[in-house]
Amino acid sequence: MRSISPIDIAGGIVLVAILALAPMLVASNYLTGVLTVCAIYGIWASSWDFMSGLTGRENFGHSLFIGAGAYTAGFLSNIWSTSPWISLPLGVVIAIAFSLLVGFPTLRLRGPYFALAMLSASAILQRLCLIFWEYTGGEEGLYGLDPLIKSPLHYYWFVLGILVVTVIVLTLLAQSHWGLLLRAIRGDEATCQAAGINVTFYKIASLMISAGFAGLGGALYAHYQLQVSPPLFSVVVSITVIIMVYVGGIGSIYGAAVAAILLTLLTEMLRGFGEYRLWIYTLTLMLILFFLPNGLIAPLWRRMTERLR
Amino acid sequence: MTVLLEVDGVTKRFGGLTAVKNATFTLQKGEFTGILGPNGAGKTTLFNILTGFMQPTSGTIRFNGEPVRELAPYKVVNRGMARTFQLTRPFLGMNLLENVLVACMSPRASEDKDKEARASYLLGQVGLGGRDKEPVETLPYGDLRRLEIARALATRPDLLLLDEPFAGLGSGEIEQLAQLIRRLHREENLTILLIEHKLREFMALVSRVIAMNFGEIIAVGPPEEIVKNPKVIEAYIGKTEAEHASA
Repeated sequence: MRSISPIDIAGGIVLVAILALAPMLVASNYLTGVLTVCAIYGIWASSWDFMSGLTGRENFGHSLFIGAGAYTAGFLSNIWSTSPWISLPLGVVIAIAFSLLVGFPTLRLRGPYFALAMLSASAILQRLCLIFWEYTGGEEGLYGLDPLIKSPLHYYWFVLGILVVTVIVLTLLAQSHWGLLLRAIRGDEATCQAAGINVTFYKIASLMISAGFAGLGGALYAHYQLQVSPPLFSVVVSITVIIMVYVGGIGSIYGAAVAAILLTLLTEMLRGFGEYRLWIYTLTLMLILFFLPNGLIAPLWRRMTERLR
Repeated sequence: MTVLLEVDGVTKRFGGLTAVKNATFTLQKGEFTGILGPNGAGKTTLFNILTGFMQPTSGTIRFNGEPVRELAPYKVVNRGMARTFQLTRPFLGMNLLENVLVACMSPRASEDKDKEARASYLLGQVGLGGRDKEPVETLPYGDLRRLEIARALATRPDLLLLDEPFAGLGSGEIEQLAQLIRRLHREENLTILLIEHKLREFMALVSRVIAMNFGEIIAVGPPEEIVKNPKVIEAYIGKTEAEHASA
């Protein structure tokens, strides 16, 4: 088991300190906003990595849980006008409910079928948002949500704090006996059965945990954008998150979070390139994934700190 | 003696092929039984059925007096019936300790509070002591078989099913592994059901033999009688002689 060493903790503290202080050094609401989105993508990517990275069951519909959390926040804030603080726990609960709904029938599937089933489930939700436009606002979605915290800087710190908690909780889980079982499921389901392990239970439980954090991130995103719309459910969101995890180094949790931050920053920095932006971004990703199939962040960090362990 | 396993009229058909035909036998607690038969006799299929990896077409299986036929494999394990695989299936990317640790997490092992200590102890039991941190990828075949046995023991089985544990091993390795299995049977009071198609090691190990051919049980008895049984000689030894003649 790859255990956490003091150098990992030190690296984490330095990184979080830089992220926390960055908006104070460069006082701009734009940067604060970008960093907030960075942190939210970090929550999404690390939550995807926990289930799919450890068990090897690629979930191509993570946006289902993200959207569920975001729309929960949207409905609560917009229609029932509840306190925005209720959005967070309820976003988590609703996302977990969706994970049970899709997890039970789909996690028994093998190979690419789970991925396809999750992809379809998120696409169906996106459609339903358009079909029931009277309630969901259709293409325009729901807007005019109340912010959780008025000051953008304070909200950013809050989101960053949640990212840190997410990464710590998921890393501890991944390092525990639980995480060992999830990695065993990735290895060989038949052997797990022969070892007396209820594979379906652990897969569904890990999907629930993954969905819960994704829903939390979704609710945070809704209260940052102050609106929610159907593209939150889109496959583009799911794929973006998956790419972040692969660049980060699959199964490492922290790698996914760091890659999410860096890639979100990269897309923003490339805005100056106008229409070439997507070209450069995609090419960068292709090069990374082609030459570094194990990812960039986590393997690089392990190599850099090898001697200090 | 009490009956541990009752297999009654178990049949498995794959389309037109009957892989196991009306298998009926019982195992007593503490018994060391072997299933003998040439390749394709239906031994592994029978194992897969007993352990829940396959559903039989018909028949009943009772373990410790309770029906286990409809149970998922992991539930069968938690009733106390553990197996090893003929083609060893370790968890790659994990060390020896972690491989056994997974099985220590099964509900049946819930009373073993210190999982690491238990897994480490079991590695010692099967002769892999002090090698906890070794990666599983570099392990020779004989040691992988031991690891399989340690993993099965972690679930605290009443009945241990060993699927051709000697296949592909050299004679030295076979003797050591046979000693280990004999010791487990004696000291841990395990009931063991072992599949083998090699006669020699097998006959020295078990006290009772169930001989199979073409999916059917053709004879049951102590090894000395089985080797004299005309049906077994025809189905089994006859074939071996033919193989020798053609070689």
